[in-house]
Amino acid sequence: MSEKLIIGIADMKLAKGEGMLVTYALGSCIGICLHDPALKLGALVHIMLPLNMETGRKHPMKYADTGIRETLKQLEAMGGSRTRIIAKIAGGAMMFKDGGSGSLGNIGQRNIESVHLNLRKEGIRLMKEDVGGAVARTLLFDVNSGLGCVRCYGRQELII
Amino acid sequence: MAIKNYDELNSLELDTLREIGSVGTGNAATALSQMLGRQVRITLPEVRIMGYNEAIEWIGGPEEITAGVLVKLSGQVNGIMLSVQPLEFVNIVLESMLSQRVTDYSQLTELENSALVEVGNIMISTFINALSGLAGMDVKLTVPAFTVDMQGAILAVPMAEYGGQSDYIMTIGGNFVSENKQVPCRLLMSPDLRSLNALLRKLGVRDE
Repeated sequence: MSEKLIIGIADMKLAKGEGMLVTYALGSCIGICLHDPALKLGALVHIMLPLNMETGRKHPMKYADTGIRETLKQLEAMGGSRTRIIAKIAGGAMMFKDGGSGSLGNIGQRNIESVHLNLRKEGIRLMKEDVGGAVARTLLFDVNSGLGCVRCYGRQELII
Repeated sequence: MAIKNYDELNSLELDTLREIGSVGTGNAATALSQMLGRQVRITLPEVRIMGYNEAIEWIGGPEEITAGVLVKLSGQVNGIMLSVQPLEFVNIVLESMLSQRVTDYSQLTELENSALVEVGNIMISTFINALSGLAGMDVKLTVPAFTVDMQGAILAVPMAEYGGQSDYIMTIGGNFVSENKQVPCRLLMSPDLRSLNALLRKLGVRDE
């Protein structure tokens, strides 16, 4: 198994050639894999909220809009091309289905919509996704093959 | 002066919050002890201000499966309260209330789930009653929500809720000890910043 890079919340890591990018326990958060298959260049961002409305903008990776934009910029700096880069996403669940949901609002759903919108804005094709529902997901992304693996409690592993 | 981030709290304010935590978890321990029919004490209550990833390490890693009961607070204090119930705690509750044990969360029946929700709900409510009495603030609670999943994702719920305001999560809470054994159950309260300021003003440790 190749080197494993762990991505925390509001964090992003890149790997080229070889590497396994892992982010644990995505609830309403979303893990976005961006991959340039020609260069075997990949990035995984773990975003928490849909829109960056902070004034200081200290943590771009916390938000779907600035996270995607900033990651693409870094991929391009490493030679990645927007025309080749594809996306795969997982997460956006609603952890507490009943009771809490009405008053909490569905952050997961808003995250999904924002990620879709921002990928479209940047002209990135969304290849596969495993989103919504009420399960936490751990996302593993192999930079070499471009395959993602989603691990959940009480569900079979899913390849995306 | 109102604070704009959790890490601006001074030591007097932290002490006051710890006191709230102490009275709150103390009352919750009494309630728990009555429900379980065994003596339950609290360990030293904690007030913690943590970064997201730090918080997840603190609770014991992201992928560990636990049960969680969540109640949203509104009224004069906005926030989220969580009762995080590892399997060991689940079994203590089930043994004393239903004389049963489970080896995995998937074995939980509807009845056992509602017992856990109720225990969580009563602990949360007694905590909030104590806080509300101390500060003279009116706090409303939602119906409890329940889930069994990775604890990282459960803890991410209050983080995401207040993530737009702060890069930190603040928790007031504690652990329980029963018959000289640590009962691994955390009771956590995460207030939003505005309520935290209001709470500190009401308790007289902050100027208007």
